[in-house]
Amino acid sequence: MNEFLMYLTNGIVIGVINAISAIGVSLIVGIMRVVNFAHGELYIFAGYFSYHLSASLGVPPLLAMPLSIFFIFLIGIGMERTLIRPTYGDEMYSLIITFVLSIVLQNAALLIFGPYPNKPPNLVSGATNIFGLYHYGNQRLLSFFISIGILLFIFYLIKRTWFGKSIRAVSQDREMSSLVGVDHLRVNMLSFGLGAALAGAAGVIVAPIFPVTPTGSSAISLNAFVVVVLGGMGSLKGCVIGGLALGIIENLGAAYLSTMYRNIFGFVILILVLVFRPWGLFGQKAQ
Amino acid sequence: MLEVKEINVFRGDAQILWGLTMKVERGEIVTVLGANGSGKTTLVESILGVHHPKKGRITFLDTEITFKPSFHITRIGISCVPEGRRIFKDMEVYENLEMGAYPEKARISLKETVERVYSLFPILRERKKQIAGTLSGGEQQMLAIGRALMSKPTLLLIDELSLGLSPKITKEIYGAIKKLHQEGMTLLLIEQNAMLALRHSDRGYVLETGRITLQGTSQELLGNEHIRKAYLGM
Repeated sequence: MNEFLMYLTNGIVIGVINAISAIGVSLIVGIMRVVNFAHGELYIFAGYFSYHLSASLGVPPLLAMPLSIFFIFLIGIGMERTLIRPTYGDEMYSLIITFVLSIVLQNAALLIFGPYPNKPPNLVSGATNIFGLYHYGNQRLLSFFISIGILLFIFYLIKRTWFGKSIRAVSQDREMSSLVGVDHLRVNMLSFGLGAALAGAAGVIVAPIFPVTPTGSSAISLNAFVVVVLGGMGSLKGCVIGGLALGIIENLGAAYLSTMYRNIFGFVILILVLVFRPWGLFGQKAQ
Repeated sequence: MLEVKEINVFRGDAQILWGLTMKVERGEIVTVLGANGSGKTTLVESILGVHHPKKGRITFLDTEITFKPSFHITRIGISCVPEGRRIFKDMEVYENLEMGAYPEKARISLKETVERVYSLFPILRERKKQIAGTLSGGEQQMLAIGRALMSKPTLLLIDELSLGLSPKITKEIYGAIKKLHQEGMTLLLIEQNAMLALRHSDRGYVLETGRITLQGTSQELLGNEHIRKAYLGM
């Protein structure tokens, strides 16, 4: 029983991180109709940034995390300005460009960081006894709380701020939102940056738990796409529920069925959702 | 206040507007009448910067706005109620109104402007927490007008105000338009429903296949034989 609870906790911790990463994809799809295949690479880069900032340059780990996320945000903005902006109006082009970019970045990561998994130092050590039932690593607990903090921040940003409202308006009706005065090119740019930063946030949170490697990036993108499809396009709540569901199913499946199939569970869910509920758990049926 | 001079507008390869000239003076209500496909919506969208003319110019308060992007045009004081209302359906009524006040200088007085909109359309106050997509057609039109007022425009464009609304609601909304006009608002109405629009406006233009074919005071137009036949069905 305690073992089960531990696997479940693992699933929830990974689940909230999944959710952050997936919201990054979902925002960009919802607002710009662009599928960012280079999502996983941004995540990996963030992991390496935080590793090198703290391990090689001696920046305190707690500062290295936001700094890495900020770098990824800038990279995201740069990507939108140079590569994505010229493709507006033709979804096929942006699809090809981000796909090519994902290959280029993955190989760049191999060149720059090498093929070895790297792991930034833990922020905390030891373990905590959870309700007297089992011991759970403090680093994972901290990652969980940081993730919850980030999720709350995103919900606040989207629901309450002018930027968030303009994001929602643009994703509902781009032309109308410019008629009320929203500069939608600027919103596009910032939300691409935000989407990238969320990939980065997931990357720096995960890196101390699971070391990052350049070749791991496709699985990360795929994972985010599965969550977005599962939760339903453009639904924040969907991303959170979808992320948790995938995290829990993967962890319980790996524990009780086989670790080898860990990544297969995601695909099975993806196929089931596409067959039975193609608009996702919280998405809306297209009219 | 608004001057459209000799504009030629294309959509793709097709020319929609042919040397169109018109103007709206401060404090007026002007109606543009036209059947489906006459180019009414293209005219509205050219003024709003959605399409840019190939030839000609558009000025507002003596500033050229011909090639300005849409978001800029709202910021300088032209606001619109587009055809089909286009409210943000997944957002709350209040959030829709907030979006109307998106331009920097409108945000400062958001609270007062909301109150003004509520006093014009009290139903919106009752519905403020409701998701906008669940409103009735008439309420959605009120919301669209309310949203357009939130930016504190000097010129309000309304495309197809009465489309799909019951006569009762249409009358109610025209009542609100009259009130706005008395408070000093300048309005440009783009309409198929000639009778109501002309009755409530000072001047009118008739748009046919992308050209202005007739213009005059509303009284003149209401008495015109061609208009009576083609638009009023008399």
